[in-house]
Amino acid sequence: MIILPVLPALFYLFGYYRPAFVYAGFAVQTAYVFFRGIQLGRLPIIGPHDTLYFLSFATVLFALPMTFRMRNRGRHLFPMLGLSAVFILLSLFFPPHSAPLPPVLKTFWFESHVALSFFSYALFGIAAVLGTTFLFVGEEDKDGGPAGAGLPGEAAEVLQYKAILVGYCFFSAAMVFGGIWAYFAWGTYWLWTPKELWTVILWLFYSLYLHARLRQWWSGRPSAILGIIGFGIVMFTYLGVSLLMKSSHTF
Amino acid sequence: MRTAIWLLLALLCILLYGSVIMPLREEFQGLHMAPLFQWLAESPVGVTWWLWAAIGVLSLLTANTLFCSIESIIKKSGTRNMLLVLSPQVIHIGFLFVLLGHLLSSYGSFKGTAYVMQGTVLPLPNNESVVFGEIRADAGPSGYITDWSADIRYLKEGGPFKADVIGPNSPSFHGGFGIYIKTVEFRPFPVALVELSRDPGGIWALVGGVLFLVGMTALLILKIKREQPSG
Repeated sequence: MIILPVLPALFYLFGYYRPAFVYAGFAVQTAYVFFRGIQLGRLPIIGPHDTLYFLSFATVLFALPMTFRMRNRGRHLFPMLGLSAVFILLSLFFPPHSAPLPPVLKTFWFESHVALSFFSYALFGIAAVLGTTFLFVGEEDKDGGPAGAGLPGEAAEVLQYKAILVGYCFFSAAMVFGGIWAYFAWGTYWLWTPKELWTVILWLFYSLYLHARLRQWWSGRPSAILGIIGFGIVMFTYLGVSLLMKSSHTF
Repeated sequence: MRTAIWLLLALLCILLYGSVIMPLREEFQGLHMAPLFQWLAESPVGVTWWLWAAIGVLSLLTANTLFCSIESIIKKSGTRNMLLVLSPQVIHIGFLFVLLGHLLSSYGSFKGTAYVMQGTVLPLPNNESVVFGEIRADAGPSGYITDWSADIRYLKEGGPFKADVIGPNSPSFHGGFGIYIKTVEFRPFPVALVELSRDPGGIWALVGGVLFLVGMTALLILKIKREQPSG
């Protein structure tokens, strides 16, 4: 049974040589998410195993269409698939959570809140990969390179911005939906827990990124670096707070 | 814009500090049980200074947002793509409404809990009261409680005038208060832990959230098409 969730990671490795493996890997990954959903009777978004796997799935879900029209697609897609594979492998360290769902979590607002959060994390992760690509490739390809050389480094930074913009929309929606759920469940839309505080820190960081990028001085290399730092904050908000801090708002 | 960037950076640093301090100091355990400003007034400044600093920076950010938004609309009025000018301002207005919601909650919120059983009468702050009827809990095959609910009736001058059923994610709202059922235990008869809660900023935070998302969606559609690499 452990083969099924790990198989996509192997397919993505072979996908470097044959693109068909990438689509096969994504098909298997989607099948596993569906299988867990049918097994549980709900979206598989509770617990570290299911959330890490859902994040890996969401990363590829967005990475494939975002890189579809790129001439040298592999240069950007493969690191994103690598990121997805890392999440898959991390998920194996935790057992699947199959206990009955507490009544307070059985609501559309909760499921939407969590799903939107992980869609945004995936986009922020993709943005970090694009920022890294820009920093290492961008200087060589800044003027576009020879014809057919692929996506110029500067355009990778623009795509990073778009990924963050969409991710920020999803994340803001996740916060609104979470507030609505909390109001119906707990009597207040805001609680002073480490998760909520780090969520605000994350939101403020990307607000800072979006405002700073409008300034000439911040676009290009500085914003690429901000996009990478942002993903570090994402990972701490998602994993660090849940694993290292006492909070009622964990996985 | 530059001021906004520096204020956001300052706020980030303050909250990063707070996120480290909060789990380490016992004083913050009571932060959920009282309105924020009441708790701040009763807590030592040596521990809470960063929260006061955050409120100060937020106040400056509020003023900066207002002035920048007005200036932006005045400077860019008459341009062809007014939607691109207006959508960031709708986002800003949404953000300000969310802050307003938090401000109102920080002054006027209320929370109280009690264990009740069938027949318990709880007084409400508005001189009415609520009586609890049947309390139900459903258990799965393993004995794990999967759902719970309670019948309630509101009383005014001893006479019932409104009935409702409360359950998880399904509170009863009346007179600005919400009655929530948190859990049910068998002792051996059903006993429910209920909470009476008032959060006056909730509706304003919701309005702000909706405006924010509407503005973001419009801006997203415009920016995705418009943003291209130069050269």
